[in-house]
Amino acid sequence: MNAHHVSIELREVHAAYDRYEVLAGISLSIEKNSRWAVIGPNGAGKSTLIRIVAGLTKASRGTVLVEGNRIKGYAARNRARILAYMPQKPEGVIPYSVHDFVMLGRYCVMGLLGVPSREDRELVADAMDICDIRHLAMRLMSTLSGGEFQRVLLAGAVAQGAPLLLLDEPTTFLDPAHERQFFEALARLHTRRELTTVIITHDINSALQRCTHIAALRHGRLMFGGTAGEFRTRCPSILRDLFSIDFSAFAGRDGGSTVFGTWESL
Amino acid sequence: MTHLNRLFAVVSGLAVVSLAALIICPMIGIVTIVPREMIHDENLRYVFLSMRLPRVLAAFCAGGGLAVAGMVYQAIFRNPLADPYTLGVSSGASLGAALCILAGVSGSVSGMSIITAGAFAGALASIAVIYCFAWLREANSSTLLLAGVIVATLCSGLIMFIHFIGGLHKSFHILRWIMGGVDGVSYSLMVFMLIPLAAFIAVTSMLMPQLDQFLTGDSIAHSRGVNVRASRNVFISITAVAVGGIVAVCGPIGFIGIIAPHACRLLMPGVRHRLLALCSFLLGGTFLIVADTLARTLVPPSEIPVGIITALLGGPCFLLLLFRRKSRLLV
Repeated sequence: MNAHHVSIELREVHAAYDRYEVLAGISLSIEKNSRWAVIGPNGAGKSTLIRIVAGLTKASRGTVLVEGNRIKGYAARNRARILAYMPQKPEGVIPYSVHDFVMLGRYCVMGLLGVPSREDRELVADAMDICDIRHLAMRLMSTLSGGEFQRVLLAGAVAQGAPLLLLDEPTTFLDPAHERQFFEALARLHTRRELTTVIITHDINSALQRCTHIAALRHGRLMFGGTAGEFRTRCPSILRDLFSIDFSAFAGRDGGSTVFGTWESL
Repeated sequence: MTHLNRLFAVVSGLAVVSLAALIICPMIGIVTIVPREMIHDENLRYVFLSMRLPRVLAAFCAGGGLAVAGMVYQAIFRNPLADPYTLGVSSGASLGAALCILAGVSGSVSGMSIITAGAFAGALASIAVIYCFAWLREANSSTLLLAGVIVATLCSGLIMFIHFIGGLHKSFHILRWIMGGVDGVSYSLMVFMLIPLAAFIAVTSMLMPQLDQFLTGDSIAHSRGVNVRASRNVFISITAVAVGGIVAVCGPIGFIGIIAPHACRLLMPGVRHRLLALCSFLLGGTFLIVADTLARTLVPPSEIPVGIITALLGGPCFLLLLFRRKSRLLV
């Protein structure tokens, strides 16, 4: 594979909290413009993996290359121009209006004084359109519903304009309708510009449907890393190995794709 | 947009009020001095220019500086309870002052009181402890807060011991210093506080966009391109130096640093830090001028320690604001 087509390259990445090993030798190559889902049981190391790629957590061993350079070597602002990370949950109440929060995404390209240019304003408006939050622009973040809030967080990451987007369980707390709205926003973004996404999720069927590639982690090891189509052919047995619980295949209606679930009988 | 109108109203309102306080409060006192009388009377001129004016200016700068310092710490630690003294700077300064008082050294060297110098040295010592934790141990914000609390407690223990062995007279002297105040501040003493304060204002005003990022949480701020640890350490260090200068000159005047930024936030929901800093400075400065004017005029000829006024005046006002405001929408 040509190096110019690779967005993220992981080579034998290890990570540990104190002595507890979280990742044990992950090697993975993520192409540009691909959509990866990271799945696996709780504590498998999914969040750690994505945080290492984002430069938030240090790998204890191994190499992490983003756009051909070591992630640790990037200056903070330059890193923000190539990747945006959206945490599962912010660490506290964010006291800004929606518009101001999304504008904070432009920090990495703004001058010292932080005065937005015309381009910044346009990109922020664009990000708000994509995420369908234009009507919320003047609302305070603290007044938003869960679904609105996640879309605003996404808009903030989108406004950075980075070609790589890392999302840590963005839809876990959303109801099905809001989850769909979130993914619709993401799909709109994919049609607009070159974008590589890595998304952690527990919704396997959604991952198989919406992503091009799957990375499956268990106990800090990569059990599978490849295309969604290939993963599908190994279902449901690989899901059983992954989660230690029986999965069954259920035929989709009207020739739709097969879905997998843990229901006892249907 | 009504939102912008509101910001404009608050900023211009604060500007007008602080300008009025700066002009009117030096005239008020046991003797009211209007500028016209000063031209002919040398004594009045002396009282106005060399006693009241430096005092009012010192109150404005100290109150404003404390308010902005409180705002910075509240943002850095994402903790509404943080204030300028959170990291133990005032306790270090108080210990320095108490040691000087215990040793019986007083008087001044080239216009600079020895107690002030001792307090400044104490503040610097406590800053050194914070510095070790922040830069050398690479501590996170909770560890820093805890270290600050421990430093403060340690200093309080030592101060209590000094009270115990110092005897009634020295003990009262220490107590009076710890209550804080801007009485007796001369122009030369003010330099002590103005140099660190100017550095603080210059550096932080450049870094306000980073402060905005801190309130979104460390991981989002990191993702947006802020070097979180380095930026936090710069803020902590420069703020501690400014607070050290203010406390050395005025003593640990409480309350302003915690309520002025909160009051401004409540008046302008969703405000970003550059404007918030300006408003906090104006509000904190004006508030201390007014409190000090009350302190020296309420029961003449004696002066009430200004810390009592700030708490008794500010507390109820702030509670009322907290109670009345239901900040939901910006428009």
